[in-house]
Amino acid sequence: MKFKFALLAFAATGLLAVSIDAQSYAITNARIVLVSGPTIEKGTVVVRDGLIAAVGVDAKAPNDAQVFDGTGLTVYPGFIDALTNVGMQTRTPAAPTGAAGAAAASVQQSATQTNSNYPAGLRPELIAMDDLRGGDAQFESVRNAGFTTVVTVGRTGIFNGRSAIIDLAGESVSGMIVREPFAEHVSFTTIGGGVYPGSLLGTFSALRQMFLDAQRLQELQKMYAANPRGMKRPDADQSLEALFPIINRQMPVVFNANREIEIVRALDFAKEFNLKAIIGGGQESWKVADRLKAQDVPVLLSLNYPKRTAAASSDADPDSMDLLRFRAETPKAAAKLQQAGVRFAFQSGGATALAEFFSNAGKAVENGLSRDAAIRSMTLSSAEILGVGDRLGSIETGKIANLTVVKGDLLGKDRVVSNVFVDGRPFEQKLAAEKPSAGRPPAGTTAPAATFAQVGGNYAITIEVPGQQLTGTLALTQQAAVLTGSLQTQLGTSPLKDGKVTAEGFSFSATVEFGGSQIEINVKGTVTGNQVSGTIDSPQGTVPFSGTRNP
Amino acid sequence: MSGIAMKVNRFGLVAFFIIATGVSFHAQTRNEVLIKNATVLTAVRGTLENTDILIRDGKIAKIGKSLSAGSGAKIIDATGKFVTPGIIDAHSHTMMDAINEGTLSVTSMTRIRDVLNPTDIAIYRALAGGVTSANLLHGSANPIGGQSTTVKFKFGKPIEDFPIPDAPPGIKFAMGENPKRSSQTFQPGQTPRYPRTRMGTLEVIRDAFVRARDYKQAWNDYRAKKTRIPPRRDIELEPLVEVLEGKRLVHAHGYRSDEHLNLMLLADEFGFRVATLQHGLEAYKIAPEIAKRGTGVSIFADFWGYKLEAYDSIPYNGYILWKNGVVVSINSDSDERMRRLNLDAAKMMKYGGVPEEDSLKMITLNPAKQLGIDKRTGSIEQGKDGDIVIWTAHPFSVYSRVDMTMIEGEVYFDRATDIQRRAEIAKEREALEKLDINKAPGSGGTPPRIPAEKRIEERDDAEYGDGDNR
Repeated sequence: MKFKFALLAFAATGLLAVSIDAQSYAITNARIVLVSGPTIEKGTVVVRDGLIAAVGVDAKAPNDAQVFDGTGLTVYPGFIDALTNVGMQTRTPAAPTGAAGAAAASVQQSATQTNSNYPAGLRPELIAMDDLRGGDAQFESVRNAGFTTVVTVGRTGIFNGRSAIIDLAGESVSGMIVREPFAEHVSFTTIGGGVYPGSLLGTFSALRQMFLDAQRLQELQKMYAANPRGMKRPDADQSLEALFPIINRQMPVVFNANREIEIVRALDFAKEFNLKAIIGGGQESWKVADRLKAQDVPVLLSLNYPKRTAAASSDADPDSMDLLRFRAETPKAAAKLQQAGVRFAFQSGGATALAEFFSNAGKAVENGLSRDAAIRSMTLSSAEILGVGDRLGSIETGKIANLTVVKGDLLGKDRVVSNVFVDGRPFEQKLAAEKPSAGRPPAGTTAPAATFAQVGGNYAITIEVPGQQLTGTLALTQQAAVLTGSLQTQLGTSPLKDGKVTAEGFSFSATVEFGGSQIEINVKGTVTGNQVSGTIDSPQGTVPFSGTRNP
Repeated sequence: MSGIAMKVNRFGLVAFFIIATGVSFHAQTRNEVLIKNATVLTAVRGTLENTDILIRDGKIAKIGKSLSAGSGAKIIDATGKFVTPGIIDAHSHTMMDAINEGTLSVTSMTRIRDVLNPTDIAIYRALAGGVTSANLLHGSANPIGGQSTTVKFKFGKPIEDFPIPDAPPGIKFAMGENPKRSSQTFQPGQTPRYPRTRMGTLEVIRDAFVRARDYKQAWNDYRAKKTRIPPRRDIELEPLVEVLEGKRLVHAHGYRSDEHLNLMLLADEFGFRVATLQHGLEAYKIAPEIAKRGTGVSIFADFWGYKLEAYDSIPYNGYILWKNGVVVSINSDSDERMRRLNLDAAKMMKYGGVPEEDSLKMITLNPAKQLGIDKRTGSIEQGKDGDIVIWTAHPFSVYSRVDMTMIEGEVYFDRATDIQRRAEIAKEREALEKLDINKAPGSGGTPPRIPAEKRIEERDDAEYGDGDNR
């Protein structure tokens, strides 16, 4: 094996650093949550050629393996986010600017041109894989959050299209696919621009007519195949044909539905056409647990808990009791589904801050879900519902080597995802936890003299917005001149962009959601001792902020 | 008790209802309810003083004096109170998550049943106004709209319990300004929807029935083995075939008498009967023609002038139709007006002098007849559903309020319980608003202020007068 080994376990943090790709890896002395069996308090996982080669108390690291000391760390099966739009490229052609722009737009347009008889939004033949792009880099933030596998599909249209289950690494799309297609995804939405269906009423009737037409087309095609003479040949209709595997129960349909009545409508529709249904979202699914159980419908349960939005004006009407109760009850949903015996898997529900996935799973545990069930609902249960339980979701010999290595309590605040293995390839988390005073530059980086200000750390900050104070946390990770991290306030958590460190101080930009729109902010600051101060520029003006480094 | 536990799981709202109040009427045995000593307005056999009504298994079992019930029966002392049949609103858009599919001129494929929402608080408010049943209609954006659903307001129950199982299905038609206006285009380059005139509207309806007739023929040919390939099932034309076969009721929105007459002539041509003319503010002009066909009219009592085609209305409309033997009902077309239909019925006595019982019929038995549910509801008669309203005074008095509303013997509104619940709900609200998840961000946790002005859709002004163009 021609790799140069460089393992650097930082004594202070117990974190791992990985420098070079290797064929075989072993994590030793780690707590291993198998999910499929009892947790191993201290053991070894061996990974080879993308698969789990061995796991156990007595498993031995092979001679050629790169060994990670997992002391103080917990190894989980790679976490699965069971419904996302990760990696999906937008289909809308950009407005042409100049000749080159026009050419590019026309290429893009021709790529999305179709001979479907149905308007955009009613085309079940859309394939998520076609809109995916390969490459490791774009998945970094999702991997860093601890995920190795996601279901991905677009979010527009009544038919969102056919989703793919992908591993979050790989230079080609074909190499990333775990299973494709997984399911057709349906939203009870409308089509804009005055095109039928323009209301929820029309959505149901348009779907109903399409399913009836698909049933008929399949029958006619069978008749024609058996005896074409004397029969007008049936249409070749790509949209209706895409429904064949669905009406034949070969492919499940994920209905996006959160509120009770939406779920009931989805279940009614699934029953009408005898579909293999899955509920995506399902925040009120506990209210119809009996029916979900009876119809054997699993739930891809959203962990994007509803909360009062920042956009709510102080003049707004008071929230309805229905809404207040909905928000309060959502974290209890998982426990209630578990009690009722409804199968479910967690998904991020479109949340932008992926850390909420785990903290909200923690809230589900606080509200009565067993811890094991919570972890299972992001690993093995997910894999089973997705139909890949035989290759993913637990740490077992022969399964795909997707692993997430965590320091601290997975569902708690001190969670740190240190490493992620995707298809046996290790990815190191670039972490905020490394203190600049540790003084040792990470392996592989050339550390010039400290011509940069030392700004890394977590700061509790106060932003002086006129009329009110906004508190938050600024997490800065410095690697020489490069600054990464996040800014967390009541408005949400935003990753830093273009973070730079100079001799004097630091700067970065970020996108904050406020009042329903995305606002670009530019931040400049300096650090003196444990104090941070600076300014935040936004289209609304400039405001100062200051804060203290958390010990 | 397991019955209660199950409801708690399935219907959080009702669960609160039960737990917070200690009133377990939903879980109570439904066997017998005895209403004692009331003034009963039967809507069919006059007013009965000091009369008892016994409801057993949801049906009116006995009406008489000094009735007795078995042990375990719910006894309601209605001394000094008035009892009427549950009010039936023949034109409502409540509890619907969508009202108009306005993209096409014919949307008979759409079904109101698909978009019903049993959590709409307007249902509870309607119950508080004594309404127990309603005809939930598609809007009036197109000449032929969607399929309607006749429901009972079983608030707190799952949606499948709402539709009246043996009610004949219906469909909305619309003529006049609304379907014309809905053809307007708002973006340059957008193809205007046909029709844009009143004559076009009628043509669309005629064309649809021609297509439906052909469609029916195609299936007949196939069933008679004249053709080999089964025709395509067309859910747009199927309900129109049902209309042709007299199996589906047409509820036709319109104002001008010429249009309503034209539609009835078209129906004559195709061999069906229009079930109701909705609104029909000029129906008095063609009362004999309507009566001759057995078509019903569902009107506003005295609401008029909110658009050009509503100017020829007169408050004597109901009286003239009644005098001509037309089955008249008074509808709300509004979540707000629905709560005081009793007073709209009272106006029929004022304008022209429709007798009291016939006025009451206009919000009870007559809409039941128009909707084909009069075998089971609409009057207080032995054998009918126990859909009952108990009033504090004569329902035609402005001082009257609903004390209790029951459907099939189950109480769905009870003023005493409601008053008791208000404190409980206020307390629950206070607790919920304190939760982080319900706090306004950056507000320091205080709940938001209540605005002085009500939302516009709750106002009953001219611009939104016609049920917001529904």
